[in-house]
Amino acid sequence: MSAPVNLDETLERSTAQAPRATSAGRAGRRGRRRRPRWIHVPLVVLAFATAFPFYAMVVLALQPGKPIDLPGSLLPSNISFDAFSAALGSDRTAGWAWNSAVYSIVSVVLVLLLASMAGYAFAKKRFFGREVIFWVFVATMMIPGHLTLIPLFITISELNGLDTMWGLIVPTLANAQAMFLMRQFIQEIPDELIDAARIDGAGELRIYWSIILPQTKPIMATLGTFVFLWHWNDFLWPLVSMRSPENYVLTVGLNSIQEQNVPLATVMAAAAVTFVPTLLVFLFLQRFFVRGVMMSGLK
Amino acid sequence: MTVADLRRTRSGTTPQRWWKARGAIIAYAFIAPYVVLFLAFRIGPAIFGTFLSLAEYGLAGDITFVGLDNFSRLFNDPIFWNALKVTVLYTVIAIPLTVAISIGMAVLCNRTLRGMSAYRAVFFLPVVTSSVMSGIVWVWILGEEGPLNWLLTSVGLPAVPWLNHDIVVLLSLAVVSAWTHFGYDMLILLAGMLAIPTEYYEAAEVDGANAWERFRHITLPLLKPALFFVIVLEIIRSFQVFDTIYVMTGGGPVRSSYSLTFMIYDQGFGYFEFGYASAAGVVLLVITLAVSLVQRRLMRGGTT
Repeated sequence: MSAPVNLDETLERSTAQAPRATSAGRAGRRGRRRRPRWIHVPLVVLAFATAFPFYAMVVLALQPGKPIDLPGSLLPSNISFDAFSAALGSDRTAGWAWNSAVYSIVSVVLVLLLASMAGYAFAKKRFFGREVIFWVFVATMMIPGHLTLIPLFITISELNGLDTMWGLIVPTLANAQAMFLMRQFIQEIPDELIDAARIDGAGELRIYWSIILPQTKPIMATLGTFVFLWHWNDFLWPLVSMRSPENYVLTVGLNSIQEQNVPLATVMAAAAVTFVPTLLVFLFLQRFFVRGVMMSGLK
Repeated sequence: MTVADLRRTRSGTTPQRWWKARGAIIAYAFIAPYVVLFLAFRIGPAIFGTFLSLAEYGLAGDITFVGLDNFSRLFNDPIFWNALKVTVLYTVIAIPLTVAISIGMAVLCNRTLRGMSAYRAVFFLPVVTSSVMSGIVWVWILGEEGPLNWLLTSVGLPAVPWLNHDIVVLLSLAVVSAWTHFGYDMLILLAGMLAIPTEYYEAAEVDGANAWERFRHITLPLLKPALFFVIVLEIIRSFQVFDTIYVMTGGGPVRSSYSLTFMIYDQGFGYFEFGYASAAGVVLLVITLAVSLVQRRLMRGGTT
């Protein structure tokens, strides 16, 4: 759970450092040390090894109905998209994908809205109990999800929220990391900006909406990406809270067809379908970080 | 007088009570949704879970207080001790594996090279992958007639029962975990390495230090904080491993991968023993808190 937060910082730090590293590299090339070309060899081998499971997944999905024969199965001669149409054609998978999309997108929007509101208050407002409440929130990150799983299940079932979308989404909105990151980011926004808006007669909601929110765009993009991926890949809470098969999210549904007697190619095709949005979001994230570096270079 | 001092005196001269300040009321309105969510879905359940560990929960929703019964049952249950053993064993295997791979990859990636961002992107891809997807693919890769065993037998080595042997199964799960996490840990270490001034390496090179000596005497000591962070992160992750076990082994073969988290799930949602499962949950909480506490101590000791 704590993973996304630190990742952001790391990536931002490492990319912020990048220009210096590049200039050092250039100096090196001009001067004494030449970068050895052979370093590409281990990198390529390791990149292939890392990517092998993805390759295997796609290759197996493209050969439905054929017995697996190594190494021939890994270098397919005639491919067929039947497994993909079998996986996508069933109403179930389409429904699961829809559930996953709703779960992820609604959560992203709500987490970003609520976290920016709370982050703004914690960063820029003075009120009784501010530090205590903030640090209690942060401390909840230490509570293992497995301890709260059963109480959450009981609570949501008492509220008749099991097997409903709101019952799935609402408990996951208490996202301490998002609030923490938002507060850190909003603290950096100059007070003068807010004071100036206030002098111009802007109300509190207007200050939040037209001054603070536009400033948080970079962190919104990063956080949004991570919240999306976290929800899209989430497994345990959807597993216990969405009980009937038509309400499964994609990860839970994928696991359920793996447990049934479904052909391997269809399972792999469904797995590949699960992976597509992740890949797209990931590629988007990469681009976002490049832009972040360029922006920090302009300042 | 600094800006901070000015601010302090300014706020010091306002004799307004906090609850009367207009800003305060608005601030409370801004944090209200979060407070409600946290009380209902974080703090409340944590307290409720701890209370449940001292109770029995009937299927009709009736709660009977039973004192420490769940804990005495837990500490006399061989399944619990086995789960704890599996968890510790898994942690002991997974951490060195993941950390070693991450350091190696960070060293390899810590250079300017054409195409480096593409390499890093590939190494990072498993991090964003769903654990169910990777579990399914890895079950095939590690299967009895999967590509890994095909590779072993084709070079004349015996096939390994990757998922059907009591210790090997933990190694297999650790490999999957390392594959999933190394890209992330690598980035943290890489950021740590980028923060080391290049002058140190230049000076060492002038003094005639070779690559290994530079790594051993410059990189490693200066990387300690990042390394420490990665290790603590991996400890907590290992103690909370669940998804891959659920997808790949179901706790098997014969409870060989039946971890503490899997026990909580199994007792809770397999047997509907909510009280008993919560007792195991409290044990997990205590372990997590102990790890964080030790981390704090060591961090403080390291900085002074």
